[in-house]
Amino acid sequence: MSNEVALLSSAVLLVTAVVALYSKRISVSLIMLFYSSLTLGIIFTLYGSVVVGLLHIITFAGAVSVLMLTAVLMIGESKLEMNASASAVALLGALLVAVVVASYVLLSGLPGGSTLANNLPAAGLFQFLWQFRPWDLLILLMVFASSMVVVVNLFSREES
Amino acid sequence: MVSDQLIYFVTATAMVFLGLGAMSFSRNLIKTIMSFQVMVFGVNLGLFSSSFGSTSAPALGPLLSYSLVFFSIIVGASVEAVGLAIIVAVYRKYGTLNPSEIRRLRH
Repeated sequence: MSNEVALLSSAVLLVTAVVALYSKRISVSLIMLFYSSLTLGIIFTLYGSVVVGLLHIITFAGAVSVLMLTAVLMIGESKLEMNASASAVALLGALLVAVVVASYVLLSGLPGGSTLANNLPAAGLFQFLWQFRPWDLLILLMVFASSMVVVVNLFSREES
Repeated sequence: MVSDQLIYFVTATAMVFLGLGAMSFSRNLIKTIMSFQVMVFGVNLGLFSSSFGSTSAPALGPLLSYSLVFFSIIVGASVEAVGLAIIVAVYRKYGTLNPSEIRRLRH
C-alpha cells in the first residue's frame, strides 16, 4: 500500500474530526462525524481487516449516528447551537500542531521511521525504547494520558 | 520514506488529543460525547496500526490488534449509547445541556 493512501486517508480523517468538533451547527457536526467513522472503516478495510472495518461502519456510522440524531431531534437542534470561541480554537490548533510534531519525533524510533526524524538527538533513545522496552513506553504513555484526563477534569471544575 | 504505521500513529495521537482538548473546552454535553467518539476513533486507529510492524518491530500481532479494536468498538459504542441516554434524561430534568448550568440548577 502506497504512502499516498495513508496520507490522504489520515488527512480526511483529521479534517472531518476537526470540522465535527468545531462546527457551530450540530447537523454539520453529525454529518462530519459520520464521514469520519466511514473513513476509519474504509482504512480498516483497505489494510486487510474487512470484518473490523465493517463492524466499525455498522456500529459507528450506522447505530451510533442514528442514536445521536435521535437524541438531537428529541432535544431540538435550535437549542444546541455550539459557539466555539476563536481563542479556544486557536489554542487547540497550536496544541494539535505541537502534538503532531511531538508524536512524530517520539514515534520516529519505530522501524521505518523517517530519516529526518531519525537524525534528531532523541531518536536513539526512542529507538531503544521501541525496540527493547515497548511495554514500558506504553505504560508511560498511559500515565501521561491519565494525567491529561486529570488536568481536563480540573479545567471542567474551574467554572463552578 | 515514512511508513504507513508512523503516519497512522501520528494521526491517532492527534485525534486523541483533539478529542481531549475539545472535551476540556466543551460547554455542551452532546459535544462532549462527540469528542469522546473522536478519541475512540484515535484509539482504534492506533491499535489497528500497531499490527503493521515489520518482523523486527515491537508491534502487536494482527490477531491481538484486531481483537483489541473489536473490543474497543463494542465498549466505545456502549458508552456512547449510555451517555446519550443520560444526556436526554438530564435535558428533560434541567432543560439545559451546559454542565456548569446544570451544576448551578442542582443546588
